[in-house]
Amino acid sequence: MAETQQKEMMCAPRAQLEWGFGGRRKLRDGALLIALFLGGIGAGQFVVSTWIFNYPLSAVIGMIFVAVGKSAAHLAYLGRPARFFRLFLKPKTSWISRGLIAMIVLIVAGVAYLAPYLTPWVGMTWTAWTMTDTIGQMFLYVAVVAAFIVMVYDGFVLNSCKSISSWHTMLLPVMFFTYAIAGGVAMSALTTMFDSGSTLSTENLVVLDGFLLGAMFALVIFYVMNLYASDMTGKESLHRLLMSKTAIFFIGLALIAGLAVPLALTLVHQAGIQGTIATTLLAISALLELAGDLSVRHSILKAGLHAPVI
Amino acid sequence: MVIDLKRCTGCFGCVVACKAEHHTPPKVFWAKVLRNESGKYPNSTRQPIPVICMHCKEPECEKVCPTGATVKREDGIVVVDHEKCVGCRYCVVACPYGARYFTDKWKDYFTGKDEPSSKYAEYSKKKWMEDSDRGVVTKCTFCVERVEKGLLPACALACPAEARTFGDLDDPDSEVSKLIKKKHGFRLKEELGTDPSVYYLPAR
Repeated sequence: MAETQQKEMMCAPRAQLEWGFGGRRKLRDGALLIALFLGGIGAGQFVVSTWIFNYPLSAVIGMIFVAVGKSAAHLAYLGRPARFFRLFLKPKTSWISRGLIAMIVLIVAGVAYLAPYLTPWVGMTWTAWTMTDTIGQMFLYVAVVAAFIVMVYDGFVLNSCKSISSWHTMLLPVMFFTYAIAGGVAMSALTTMFDSGSTLSTENLVVLDGFLLGAMFALVIFYVMNLYASDMTGKESLHRLLMSKTAIFFIGLALIAGLAVPLALTLVHQAGIQGTIATTLLAISALLELAGDLSVRHSILKAGLHAPVI
Repeated sequence: MVIDLKRCTGCFGCVVACKAEHHTPPKVFWAKVLRNESGKYPNSTRQPIPVICMHCKEPECEKVCPTGATVKREDGIVVVDHEKCVGCRYCVVACPYGARYFTDKWKDYFTGKDEPSSKYAEYSKKKWMEDSDRGVVTKCTFCVERVEKGLLPACALACPAEARTFGDLDDPDSEVSKLIKKKHGFRLKEELGTDPSVYYLPAR
């Protein structure tokens, strides 16, 4: 700790110690990372399940991730959780306010859209609207737009920190969006494995997943190249990503386990494997992708360095 | 404020004065002195760079704050309302100058525990809890309570080398404005467009 403090007193790139595991409050600061991760995959799962696959059970799980997981993790992170309502007060200038308002809109519109599907679970019948009529579709449109904002806003939150070169790039919202959609596909794949009544075609999931994995791989490479071409602080961040303890998460988990292995498994799956082996491969691929998503967010937070003041 | 780097000796008097004035807990430095090392031996130099909140005219911290806890007063001083802050720390990561601190717990300087070990520590804890509180973000206030009484900020008053000059930047006849003009004052990270209100006079 004394060494950290000494480094903070030098005119040198300074690590951000507020967001992510290992911050000033060690584990508790990691709640923010969990919130961003759950928000991303939850919103992604909702969009993938409703917009692409018409799979309401998966959409419900995505909604639980956002409404319960993300909200609880945010509250655990805050210094003064009882004042949480204040977070919604400045959408005009603050990306946190914008993102959290979108999260509330997603929860309200999403639950309203899913109400006809959910109410039979509690022994009631919903007659006010159906999921396919105009009102139901209106709720769906609103929820999907809000989910898109939830998927990208954390990228904009980081992008707005001008003195952190590795965060101040428009690649982050795009990366977080792609990871969120891929996380949604992975979660939908996992859901369908445990749902005997699912009619979702795993072939479609695998094709979409393969495309997203390719896009994520390209984006991560662009991100690394962007850091290599940036200023001294950006290069120092890149050094952290590739050569420090963070490299275990970035190279080991995010790049190899989270991208390369699932991509290989997708190709093997496409080769025509059927039955239990195919299902197992899909499950492993989905779990690795989720671990990669968490790791890439963790690495980006940990590599955040403030440029020296002079 | 204008800080003359030629005069600053890096004695940390400003840091101590700030701590004595505001009773900030360990690891919280509203005023700090960074060391800038440049060149290569035998032509290397070490220059102390005193850093406080820059009280920017376009503060990033105010823009990103989701609660409206960070506000810019009419006199240009940027303050945090600790009754409104939720401790999300967006401002801490957005501030390019590292001027903001989040405090989760008050800790005694000597024992590192939550309980004060002396009467002075007890007083410090009481003052800190009254003025700043826990679970929120704090920062240099330009000693607003002193400035309102017509006094100098503690750091400017304590500086034995008189490296700090406090005054009105909007008044072209003020000492600070004259110093900036005469000695080619510059600001830190001007390229970010935050328009800081703390100027530095070059060391040579």
